Amino acid sequence: MSIWTIASYAAWAISALLLGWMLFDLIRVGAVYGEDFLMSAREGEDELLQEAEEEEGGRK
Amino acid sequence: MAKAYLPPKQTGIGQFVDSIFLIVLVYGCLMLPLLFNFGGGESAAEAPAEKTEITWQSLQQNEVMQAQWEKLGYSPEEAAELINARFDYSIEPISLGVTALVILGYFLFVLKYSEKEYRDVIAERFGRTQK
Amino acid sequence: MSTAATAESGKDRLFLLKVLGPIHVWALGVGIVLVGEYMGWNFSVAKGGALGSLIACWVIGLLYTCVAMIDSEVTSTVAAAGGQYTQAKHIIGPLMAFNVGLYLVMAYTMLEAADALIVGDLLTQLAEESGVTDFNAQAFVVLTIAILAFMNYRGVLMTLSVNFLITAVAFIAIIVMFFGISPWNEGVTIFHGDLLTGLPYGWIGVVAALQFGMWYYLGIEGTCQAAEEVRSAGRSIPLGTMCGMITLLIAASLTWFMASGLLPWEYLGQAMVPLYDTARMTGSPMLQTLLFVGTLFAAVASANGCINDASRAWFSMGRDRYMPTWFGAVHPRYRTPFRSIVFLIPIAVSFAFTGLLDQVITFSILSGLLGYTFMSINVIKFRRKWPLGVIDRGYVHPFHPLPALMLLTLCTATYFATYLGYGPQLLSIMVFYIIASIWFALHRYKYVARGDQFTMTWPRPAGY
Repeated sequence: MSIWTIASYAAWAISALLLGWMLFDLIRVGAVYGEDFLMSAREGEDELLQEAEEEEGGRK
Repeated sequence: MAKAYLPPKQTGIGQFVDSIFLIVLVYGCLMLPLLFNFGGGESAAEAPAEKTEITWQSLQQNEVMQAQWEKLGYSPEEAAELINARFDYSIEPISLGVTALVILGYFLFVLKYSEKEYRDVIAERFGRTQK
Repeated sequence: MSTAATAESGKDRLFLLKVLGPIHVWALGVGIVLVGEYMGWNFSVAKGGALGSLIACWVIGLLYTCVAMIDSEVTSTVAAAGGQYTQAKHIIGPLMAFNVGLYLVMAYTMLEAADALIVGDLLTQLAEESGVTDFNAQAFVVLTIAILAFMNYRGVLMTLSVNFLITAVAFIAIIVMFFGISPWNEGVTIFHGDLLTGLPYGWIGVVAALQFGMWYYLGIEGTCQAAEEVRSAGRSIPLGTMCGMITLLIAASLTWFMASGLLPWEYLGQAMVPLYDTARMTGSPMLQTLLFVGTLFAAVASANGCINDASRAWFSMGRDRYMPTWFGAVHPRYRTPFRSIVFLIPIAVSFAFTGLLDQVITFSILSGLLGYTFMSINVIKFRRKWPLGVIDRGYVHPFHPLPALMLLTLCTATYFATYLGYGPQLLSIMVFYIIASIWFALHRYKYVARGDQFTMTWPRPAGY
């Protein structure tokens, strides 16, 4: 087996690992957190939130 | 203030079907030119079916060009194929007209329909009466 | 990024992390595009000759300067992920916004597939040079997409910091090669005098070259996808975009200069890796290695930026329910649009393996072009509905409406150029957007809340 064949198997394995992890994490997050919380990002609102926090001299 | 429009909640299956629909549509349109066997962008090579021997001179390549071709590993015969390939830029008025109409029509439709929807959005966001 | 967990209490809201600065904006914009200098632009040489390509390079450069200026002004007021999609939603209306969102997702996902294929091709070339003949690059194409998606999944700061590094290397590679060639020795190390010919097709060839001239800059407008994640977006995005545009104008001109001075135009017009071939002509192993690395990095940076942009656009559409709402989720820990990122992986991979690369690339370019056409209309409406002074603009572009009209004119010329080479593809792509529009109008739009989509704190638009 040439080094290229080994590398190619390794590439498949790493790809599978990464994709598997993402899929696992995606399902886990969906199970642990409520949908409403995950969908709570609102357009344009983050800016206001941050400004409010900064005015409080609050956390980063 | 106008009564706000309450959209229905979409089921998981509905969401799935909608995602799949778009993907199928993309693939359909990617295949479309192949189905009709259109060969867009093909270069029409004026095959130099000549009996004369191909030389750099007959290809009208000067010394520097010749040197560069050789450095790239091309013989006159191999290079001739590239050098003699030419695109066909003929314009068919009908297909050009159709294409122009389709693009123009598409934008007009999208803009007009968006305008209608946009008025609803503004009316609901800022209230209908205020002007 | 450990502070990201602070909002996990449940009553707080999630939002994308605001962590990026101007250099990330630059990296995102230039990163996507720079691969176009390493390959692709040279097809314009085949279309119109070397000089035709240079004219196209500058004419299209003008088009993109208009794009960058217009985009900077609008984005400096619309600081939301989704970029042009969000602009369209606020300025023109829902159906246009849906179309723009699709342009973005299609253009970037398809470009990502092409980039990953380039990585595969480069490795195949490397394998062949080391004597392996049965090398199969598929594993590496998938691996490229998997690694980049993983990085995108885990956080935007890391993703774009890496992009900054590899983009910078790819750009510096072009500069180093320029000086390595010692271009001041005309006739000794570089041969414009003997290699440049007239316009082989006359001026129609120059027009035809416009289509591939877009490669020099295609994707720079992606910078505004980052708007929701950039600190003080109103300043950073115009700055990053303009610097990016200058970078690209320099890179494009240098690239043309080197390649056209060392390669006969008939060869250049069909080369797969023109800059690498140019390096080969110098005979310097150092430059060859450098350009190999540069090409590889440019392709990876481009794919990376595309994943970032496509997922932002898809996410924004999901958030507004233009697309299934499931995609509008933000990861509670990494603060990325994780579902959109994962969803687009198999699509990009499938585009890469269909064997329809030609169609896929044309689809990508045309989606971009449709987007630029939209921008010119968009900015005219923007100025009309919210004249200067009504809302705070972080940047005001000069000479309005000249750039918008110029952009529209150049877009028309580019449609014509596309018709010349890819007429049937052009029509089939229009079919896609027309069917999708009808589908949205009749079916999809009923799930969208009306007034809620308008999220900017702007006053009522003039005339409504």
